[in-house]
Amino acid sequence: MPAEERETVAWPADGYVAVVKQDCPTCRLVEPVLAGLPGLTVFTQDDPAFPEGVADRRDDTDLDASLALGIETVPTLVRFAGGVEQGRVVGWSRAQWAELTGVAGLGEGLPEYRPGCGSRTQDPDVAEEILVRTRGGSLRARRLEIAALEDEAEALFDRGFTDGLPVVAPTPARVLRMLEGTSRKPDEAVAVVPPNLAEATVEKVAINAVLAGCRPEYLPVVLAAVEAACTDEFNAHGLLATTWGAGPAIVVNGPIRAEIGMNWAGNALGQGNRANSTIGRALQLVIRNVGGGRPQEVDRAALGHPGKVGFCFAEDEEGSPFEPLAQSRGVPPGRSAVTVFAAEGPRGLADQISRTPESLARSLAQGLRSVCHWKLPGGFDASLVLSPEHGRTFREAGWDRARLHWELDELLLLDRAEITRGAGGIEEGVPARASDRPVPKFRPGGYMIMYAGGGAGMFSAVIGGWAGGPGGSAPVTREVDPWR
Amino acid sequence: MHDFAALEGRGVIAAFLASTQFVVAAAAQAKALGYREVPSVFVPHPIQDRTDAEMRALADAALEEVLAAVTRR
Amino acid sequence: MAVSPGGATGSLVILDPTDESAPDARTALRRPASLDGLRVGLLDISKARGDVFLDRLAELLADRGITVRRYAKPTFTKPMPPDLRRDVTTECDVVIEALAD
Repeated sequence: MPAEERETVAWPADGYVAVVKQDCPTCRLVEPVLAGLPGLTVFTQDDPAFPEGVADRRDDTDLDASLALGIETVPTLVRFAGGVEQGRVVGWSRAQWAELTGVAGLGEGLPEYRPGCGSRTQDPDVAEEILVRTRGGSLRARRLEIAALEDEAEALFDRGFTDGLPVVAPTPARVLRMLEGTSRKPDEAVAVVPPNLAEATVEKVAINAVLAGCRPEYLPVVLAAVEAACTDEFNAHGLLATTWGAGPAIVVNGPIRAEIGMNWAGNALGQGNRANSTIGRALQLVIRNVGGGRPQEVDRAALGHPGKVGFCFAEDEEGSPFEPLAQSRGVPPGRSAVTVFAAEGPRGLADQISRTPESLARSLAQGLRSVCHWKLPGGFDASLVLSPEHGRTFREAGWDRARLHWELDELLLLDRAEITRGAGGIEEGVPARASDRPVPKFRPGGYMIMYAGGGAGMFSAVIGGWAGGPGGSAPVTREVDPWR
Repeated sequence: MHDFAALEGRGVIAAFLASTQFVVAAAAQAKALGYREVPSVFVPHPIQDRTDAEMRALADAALEEVLAAVTRR
Repeated sequence: MAVSPGGATGSLVILDPTDESAPDARTALRRPASLDGLRVGLLDISKARGDVFLDRLAELLADRGITVRRYAKPTFTKPMPPDLRRDVTTECDVVIEALAD
């Protein structure tokens, strides 16, 4: 029940209030003391008939008074004067009870001191309900009822909230726990989400993070990713509406990778790690549910790819021969960030023979050249995920990221004779021109180089993108820490 | 009503015909399944002791409502 | 505890993950403008006399150029068995279920 619908609890403005439970041996021990204290109101958390001999004994099995008084231990004795708390004693202590009440010789025959027991408000079995009762009022999202005869998982499918895989029901308690992952308030705006240009609040993002299966500590990453994906530069609307099959992918840098247990080692781009799998999914569910971007509606992809369920991974910064991607994009060292970029599914690039950086770079350039079409330059962006066994070759040669970019740029100058329409017996290609100057495969800054993967395997991966730059989509980096 | 939910959940447009005896039960069942309302047509109770001619007359009378329950009109 | 989870007995309350532009209850599928070109099924729940009603309804629909496929549940007391449900959902766009009494 929302807090505003509950009756407020009250007790006399002057006198003593004790909170007890029959289940607690210390409470039972002080039963005769309570019976003898004048001006006392007792709230009982479990058995309304306990303690005996108290005139003003009140049922607090719904714990309202305990919560209002902030009780963590029973018994707790509180003194009020003029409605203001004057002091409290936790557990049984003859000296402290005597001092608080001014009654000498309390509890004759009782031990001097006994610690109390945990208040029922601390019990795990009521924690969820108390969370909703005390903080549910901060939630603004419409409450929906899944009826008694509906299967919970089926109901979430039927209402269209899922990407085709089961989701976790976003109950108020789960959403409140998710919101503990950020210091931001639930009603703060995160972004305006395309295609419907609906405002996503922190709460709406948290609801979708619950659906996706995120843990609360992933929420700042999801919030940063939503912020990044909803920028003009990233152009999520265009990426959604194109018939090309790419979707948003997220690469994570900085300390938060380890804090939330992301995977950047073996199978870095694959399944099996909760953070990797659910963060990318949460972003896609925000676009689906808040933005209204659904397949065969605004999402016009002819083919799409399985990573559109969610595509998120972390860079291996510790093993990388290069500085972290986020630092190369302007984020100060030691800070966490997400970079959101347009992504097809990854495709492996094998080279198990090259021992020189020059030879390996040529192999990688051949793979990058095939993005979109081997004969088409200038339009599409891409990403290269360098694996440890390929990274080693560049480390040993002393190549940094800038050097590798520079070498690849040279290798990706395309010979006009090879890419003109009709060349190679392929009608696709660029129109014939008078100039025979070579044409760069990518626009300036049109491909990123990242580092991740397991220690064995001379295989890197190319991730094709979509039309780059203005009119298309450019990668966007945002810091995570402001969303913590 | 379970059939209604099963069919609509699989993308098949469904409507439910019952006697007026069922108005309250159908509403309760629809609510329990999460629907505020279900396209339904109710024909006058009773049914089981009607003659064939009476049954056909009930169908004649229900036709327009049946069409309305499964189309946008 | 003396507190219910929030809704009616046995129901589960969730928070809306969408922009809240759609109705908050489960709604019937969007209806077509007409039945032209759609595959229409009549599902007999197998209560006594329902067949006479459905025979006449089929005739009336046929008069309007709508041919129907006929199906019958083995018993009105239970939901459709899976094989019947599969047949109906693969063979029909629209299903009229009758006649509960």
